[in-house]
Amino acid sequence: MQSARGGAGLLRRAQSLAALLGILILAIVISPTASDGSRIFLQAGNLTDILRQVSLIGIISLSMTFVILTGGIDLSVGSILALATALVAMFLTRGYTTHIAVAILAAVAAAALAGALNGAVVAFTGIQPFIVTLASMIGVRGLAKWLTNNQNIDIGFGKDLASEFAAIFREKAIVIGAYALVAAMFWVVLARTVFGRHVRAVGDNEKAAEYAGLPIRATKIWVYTLSGLFTGFAGVLYAAENHQGNPNAGVAYELDAIAAVVIGGTRLSGGKGSISGTIIGTLIIGVLTNMLRLNNVDSNVEMMIKAVIIVLAVAVQRERNGT
Amino acid sequence: MKRQSWISLGLGGALLLSGCGVEGKKQFVVAFSQANNAEPYRAAQNVFLAKLLAQQPDVKLVISDAQQDNSKQVAQVETFIRQKPDLLIVAPNERAALTAVMGQAMEAKIPVICLERDILQPNYTTYVHSDNVAIGRLAGQFIVDHLTKKYGTPQGNIVAIRGLLGVEGEINRDRGAKEVFDKYPEIKIVADPVADWIQAKAKDRMTEVLRAQPKIDVVYGHNDPMAIGAYLAAKELGREKEMIFVGVDGLGGQAGGIRKVMDGILAATFVYPLCVDKAVEVGNRILHEPAFKPEKDYLLESVMVTPENAAQMYQQFTLPGMH
Repeated sequence: MQSARGGAGLLRRAQSLAALLGILILAIVISPTASDGSRIFLQAGNLTDILRQVSLIGIISLSMTFVILTGGIDLSVGSILALATALVAMFLTRGYTTHIAVAILAAVAAAALAGALNGAVVAFTGIQPFIVTLASMIGVRGLAKWLTNNQNIDIGFGKDLASEFAAIFREKAIVIGAYALVAAMFWVVLARTVFGRHVRAVGDNEKAAEYAGLPIRATKIWVYTLSGLFTGFAGVLYAAENHQGNPNAGVAYELDAIAAVVIGGTRLSGGKGSISGTIIGTLIIGVLTNMLRLNNVDSNVEMMIKAVIIVLAVAVQRERNGT
Repeated sequence: MKRQSWISLGLGGALLLSGCGVEGKKQFVVAFSQANNAEPYRAAQNVFLAKLLAQQPDVKLVISDAQQDNSKQVAQVETFIRQKPDLLIVAPNERAALTAVMGQAMEAKIPVICLERDILQPNYTTYVHSDNVAIGRLAGQFIVDHLTKKYGTPQGNIVAIRGLLGVEGEINRDRGAKEVFDKYPEIKIVADPVADWIQAKAKDRMTEVLRAQPKIDVVYGHNDPMAIGAYLAAKELGREKEMIFVGVDGLGGQAGGIRKVMDGILAATFVYPLCVDKAVEVGNRILHEPAFKPEKDYLLESVMVTPENAAQMYQQFTLPGMH
């Protein structure tokens, strides 16, 4: 039983990896060339552009994978990201603190708190996660707008604390490094820890998990808290990258994150899925976007092509697994 | 795998075909990063730009649409930088977010035209824009003249319908008009609801204002769609004859504000220049005249559209392909 499931998982991952490789090869083949004849797609600068561009959604989709593995969903991530961008910018530009770390901690803590609230309501009331997080998507967006009076908080390019923060955290290496670190962490937690096994067990069969005496409520509260926390961290990176706290940031990010998770082969009903799959799913979207943009495909056509790719990526995996 | 290779083939073929160009004498590539195609003003910019550049066989235009998302626009400009176009035009979604990446384009020796919205640092070759404070003053003066004519002395009740708070256009169209109103103590702004530039929202907000305000002389919409929304609300309650409606933008075409002046719905609108014609004029000189040094800043004047000149303005500002 255990080995069969492991085998199916491996096959699924192999297939999403094949999809990524297919798109990579296509991207290389059709890449426009620079004046020296080299393929623009393969330039180191372009490849790291892709990694940086997917990092924020990438980080959100990692914690989203945990939520979806428990059979849940988190629609509030876009709003929580906006809240975090607003808070970190407020702390840095309004003299609430003289330490960058304090501002980051405040933003991440508030985001984690919002996530914990999601988790507590899901765990204790039994209301569907879709509804709970739909409500907090609206409520947290309202909070972010209220805190900022619906105005952006610009971060400049000078020598002040906020500018210093942006200069550090918009650095490509820092952003990509952060994504890699968080990805490694989530991979280890899911694959190697008791908590990781609980996450899967809750989504696979909640009744069985209950009879086995697993801490279902605690597991649920934790996954939503982590989702809030890491989305908050992504919000901090967003603020640095875009030089602003923005209460309107992150609209529809929940859908991008969910798309990355399902393209990566995680079952939306929970129980089955992997962190490596989500990383691959994130990269598929990133490479696809970059490929279409490099070739100047009309942006309306771009959306239609993406729609087809998402359905195909999931369909191929379903077919092979017979699920 | 079989299925994937089919997709790859189809996609690759389509892209290759679209990428084929005629080789010959020097072809210039002009890349335009548009903030959001969904706004009528910006859609009109795209149409106008495409039309102007279509007249030049040696120039190829590519447009990307950031769908009002800062991160998306930053990524799209990064991709343009990899492609090294001969000219980059950016209509920034928000000032802080695009500042750094436009600096990177300048470092890559790509001439950059900043269109309509400014950024935090002068990371552009030239900036083509209009002046919203001046437009606000023009609108304010038109309203004062109307009220003076109506009552013999400058007095009356104004409803201002505001755009998205915190946006430069909203702040300055509001400020310019208030500078004029403030000189006349008998002129009062009795309500100033926020409708985020959206016609449907303006109709809802105006409905509430109409319930609360027994006497309204002028509605000043910070853009035409909001002024039209307010008109629809007043018409529903049978009060549209009691007041006049003034807007800003003055787009051509059937759906634009100039048509609404001809139809007698708006008393006046103030053309907010598309800025595209000036950008093309300056851009062409940058492309074709190596010695040409553009001004750092080109400021474009507004035009007042009233029933007297509306038909003529309609001819001038309506472009083929505009609806």
